[in-house]
Amino acid sequence: MQFVIAFTLAIALMAADYYGQLMGSFRSLLLTTINPIERVATLPKHLYQLATTDFTNIDALKLENQQLKTELLLVKAKQQRFSNLQLEVSRLEALLGTAGQINTQSLQIATVTYYSNNPLSQYLTLDKGQLKKVSVQQTVIDAKGIMGQIIRTTPTSSRVLLITDPDHQIPVRIQRTGQRGILSGTGHDTTQLEFIPKNSLVEVGDLIESSGLGGVFPAGYPVAIITNVENKEGSPYFDITATPVADLYQSHKVLILSQATPYLNFDEKLPETPKEKPLELIPSTLGQTHVP
Amino acid sequence: MSHKLFNLKTSQARWVILVSYIVALALDTIALFGHSTPVIPPLTLFFLLYWCANFLDRTHLFSAFILGLLADTLYQTPLGAHALLFSIITFLMIRHRLRFKGYPVWQQAFFICLYMLLYQGLNFLFFNPILNSDDFVQYWTMPALSLFLWPLLAYSLRKFSHTAVNG
Repeated sequence: MQFVIAFTLAIALMAADYYGQLMGSFRSLLLTTINPIERVATLPKHLYQLATTDFTNIDALKLENQQLKTELLLVKAKQQRFSNLQLEVSRLEALLGTAGQINTQSLQIATVTYYSNNPLSQYLTLDKGQLKKVSVQQTVIDAKGIMGQIIRTTPTSSRVLLITDPDHQIPVRIQRTGQRGILSGTGHDTTQLEFIPKNSLVEVGDLIESSGLGGVFPAGYPVAIITNVENKEGSPYFDITATPVADLYQSHKVLILSQATPYLNFDEKLPETPKEKPLELIPSTLGQTHVP
Repeated sequence: MSHKLFNLKTSQARWVILVSYIVALALDTIALFGHSTPVIPPLTLFFLLYWCANFLDRTHLFSAFILGLLADTLYQTPLGAHALLFSIITFLMIRHRLRFKGYPVWQQAFFICLYMLLYQGLNFLFFNPILNSDDFVQYWTMPALSLFLWPLLAYSLRKFSHTAVNG
């Protein structure tokens, strides 16, 4: 009898979790329970790091400090250029009368406390949670590109599903051509670019960036680099393998981005934009447009 | 020594069992940490089967269910999937645990190997992991490894529970 109850309950839970996503808070509760165990599991590694850090040569630390200072200088220079570009884009947009496309997103720095990399699940655990206003579906990046998105949160931690996880998909575009597709995880540190038709221009080495479609991931962040393109007979699409640009398992500090541009609420009134005269079509010169 | 332990009731060794489950979960978490390999068997299930075979006054299905849910959280699988797997394996153990208890350890290990093979088979059906050639070999080697791990675990747990309960 107990087995029948356990069996039925397990099936019901699976259905509720898989189809309805109804078990979010229950899963968060379980995650909170398992959090201390995760911390204990990482203790040997932390102790090892602590022990090895103590024996690090002071010269090596000085060298690292120098390198970091140089890097900071370069980043600051790039930042200045970026600010100028941002201003210029805003000015051009104002001239064209279009809405601004650049979103300024708030960032939070978090530390990776645990990571798993096996064929079933590829995820990270971060040390920031609901208390720091981290919420589900926020994008996580490192210095090189997108790592994944937050799927569960507890008061003091959050779990990030990596882009290489078999359950993860992200809408992307090839930076060089603008061709859109879906990047799926394979479970083996690589990703697969899907739905790229065979008449597209794709090359090994092309950079894939987030397209922003779907409203979850912000647009324009690097995601992966194409490493292999196969033309399989009988399929209308290329078989494309890509390697993530982010250091998924080496990054210790990561950035949590605030939500990307939210979906438009269609009940909400859109802000009024200055009315422009519509394009006039001159019947005598059909096919030509005249801009007044 | 073993006779003394086997006559115990679950309520007398509740804390020992609870601590062993926490340790098993921590070991599973360590095994999953970083670049883990699918060759390491789920130690939580190992511990569960050991207690199920040695404490006959309970079915241990509740423990199986809760540990399964925690395993689902750990492995990031649909909630209830590991709970179902753990419940099925525990149920099979309950069906023949009286005979299992009477077997010598090497024979027990053989049965544990069969249970782990069933676990891996169901795991494969449920989650359909994408395995490359190396992972594929390691994945199906796990039951064989459990054959060698069981005597070690049985001896350690017997020693530990005897010390903890009888002092």
